[in-house]
Amino acid sequence: MKLKSSYIAVALAAVVVLAFPAFLGAYYLNVARSVMTYMALAISWDMLLRSGQISFGIAGLFGLGSYASALAVLRGGMDPFASIIFAAVFAGLMAFALGFVILRLRSMYFSITTLALMEIFRIVMHNLHDFSGGPEGVVLPVVIFNGDAPALYWLCLAGLIITIGVSWYFEKSKMHLALTAIRNDETSARSNGVDIFKYLLIAFVVTSTLQGMMGAIQVQSYGFTAPETAFDANFTLLPLAMALLGGIHSTIGPMAGAILLGIASEWLKLQIPYGHLIVYGVIIILVILFMPQGLLGMARKMIRAGRKAGATHE
Amino acid sequence: MANKRNAAILVALITVAVAAILVWRPTVIIYGLQSAGLYASIAIPMGLILGIVHIVNLAHGEFMMVAAYATYMLCSATGMDPFLAMVPAALVTAAFGFVIYKLTIKQALKAPELNQLILTFGIGISMTQIANLFFTSQTRKLSFDYVSASVDIGDLSFGIYKFVFVGIALLMIVGLRLFLTKTTTGKAALAVGQNPKGAAIVGIDVDKTYGFVFALASALVGMMGAVFITSSSIFPAVGSPFTMKSFCLIAMAGVGNIPGILSASILLGVSENFLKAFRGTRGWADIVFFVLIITVILGRSIKGKKG
Repeated sequence: MKLKSSYIAVALAAVVVLAFPAFLGAYYLNVARSVMTYMALAISWDMLLRSGQISFGIAGLFGLGSYASALAVLRGGMDPFASIIFAAVFAGLMAFALGFVILRLRSMYFSITTLALMEIFRIVMHNLHDFSGGPEGVVLPVVIFNGDAPALYWLCLAGLIITIGVSWYFEKSKMHLALTAIRNDETSARSNGVDIFKYLLIAFVVTSTLQGMMGAIQVQSYGFTAPETAFDANFTLLPLAMALLGGIHSTIGPMAGAILLGIASEWLKLQIPYGHLIVYGVIIILVILFMPQGLLGMARKMIRAGRKAGATHE
Repeated sequence: MANKRNAAILVALITVAVAAILVWRPTVIIYGLQSAGLYASIAIPMGLILGIVHIVNLAHGEFMMVAAYATYMLCSATGMDPFLAMVPAALVTAAFGFVIYKLTIKQALKAPELNQLILTFGIGISMTQIANLFFTSQTRKLSFDYVSASVDIGDLSFGIYKFVFVGIALLMIVGLRLFLTKTTTGKAALAVGQNPKGAAIVGIDVDKTYGFVFALASALVGMMGAVFITSSSIFPAVGSPFTMKSFCLIAMAGVGNIPGILSASILLGVSENFLKAFRGTRGWADIVFFVLIITVILGRSIKGKKG
């Protein structure tokens, strides 16, 4: 009975989200797209975090994907839609190659190396003037779907749904057990026969593929990218804050965080043109200090407390 | 034996390389040393915190940025020289660092390391954004006559002002060494760094020591922030590259090895300036350090696996 009602809720939500273009204007669809992009990045960041590895390089893979897609169209004459798949595969392969080396690192060394990799990608794109357009970036001749707002919205939604699906699969399959075991205690995970490197590599490649895909969707929807936009630190900062606020180690937490902060950020951008990002910094600090489990963790605690109270009444 | 021979070969190779560069492009070594001084003197305070409090302070560069802005305001309002302003800047940042430690970092000391990383990351972002809020992203610069001091040797002419940074780095290394080995507080700090539980058992106030070390490191980086405005223009994001560079230098030197930070800085400074010496590779100078850091971190991790 309970299962059925939750399925109905999900189906209802899906219908509403799918039908957004019917009753929202172009501006709101644009806001929705940016929220969805950040949401997908937040979920993908969280997927790797479930293994205990913090990546500060979300923007790196995101930017890499957007450049791969833009350059495939511009220099290789690829179909825009195919270029999104190409970019996702490219980001995945890149992560596969890099993973062999950087997944040996742990804790702060891993985090800082991902940050450094992002900078390397940015500098490379900045300096390959002839190939990547250098600091001015690249402009695509046409925007995918000729810039039709509902079509762009659905494209972004498709990327988000793939991300949610993969994350959900991660939560329900053996991956979840393996990643949680690695996060809790690597030594005991290894002694129980978990192939740590294999699972870390899978998680790293899959999340990088998703981030690359979102980058490609972004660049195809705007028709433009430059090193400073593709590798903008916001693409690292915002997803991180969203996932933390919503509640880490889950799919639903980053989603909730992204909706809250994504909409708040669009409003704040208009209120405080300089420095509206301070809200994110402060949220990160407060969440870490006062509710490390995020809103989701608080909600769970309240439900549990409520049940307990109910049980004693009976 | 083999190790010793390898080391000897390495030293010989480095000497030959340095000599070759010195003859061919002397400015590479000179400017390399100068930027090494700046890198090292910013990285050393962070190394102090990492070595004793065992916290990676990802807001380190932002502390410097805040001090730089404070000094900028003080100097442009009163006409004071930044070198004089080092004293108030150090006091202000020490107090500031102490408050930040008490309010946030202290609460997260027992939390997993990942929480601490994200926490200091958030602190750094907040500080950059506060600067953005007050000063906007416009760059600011004060100019001083003595900065353009230069020396001619033969037909070679180069600026000497930035050697000040090398001096500061050396002073910091000697000063910290004396402090950590000769004074009671310093010895206590060293003991806490090695083993906080053991230090607590023998009666050292660990929390007080952490707070003190944090304030001391903030004061040092605050001083650097004051001097920093003499040679560079400032903007809210000016500190963040230094956070990363500092961390990398510490990782290269090995946590707890403060003099090693200077050698790592020299390697970084000289290789950066080597690329800057050629028109074709100038834009790539920034990448040196990221490549260097990844190589070093990986080298260490692989060596660690074998050993």
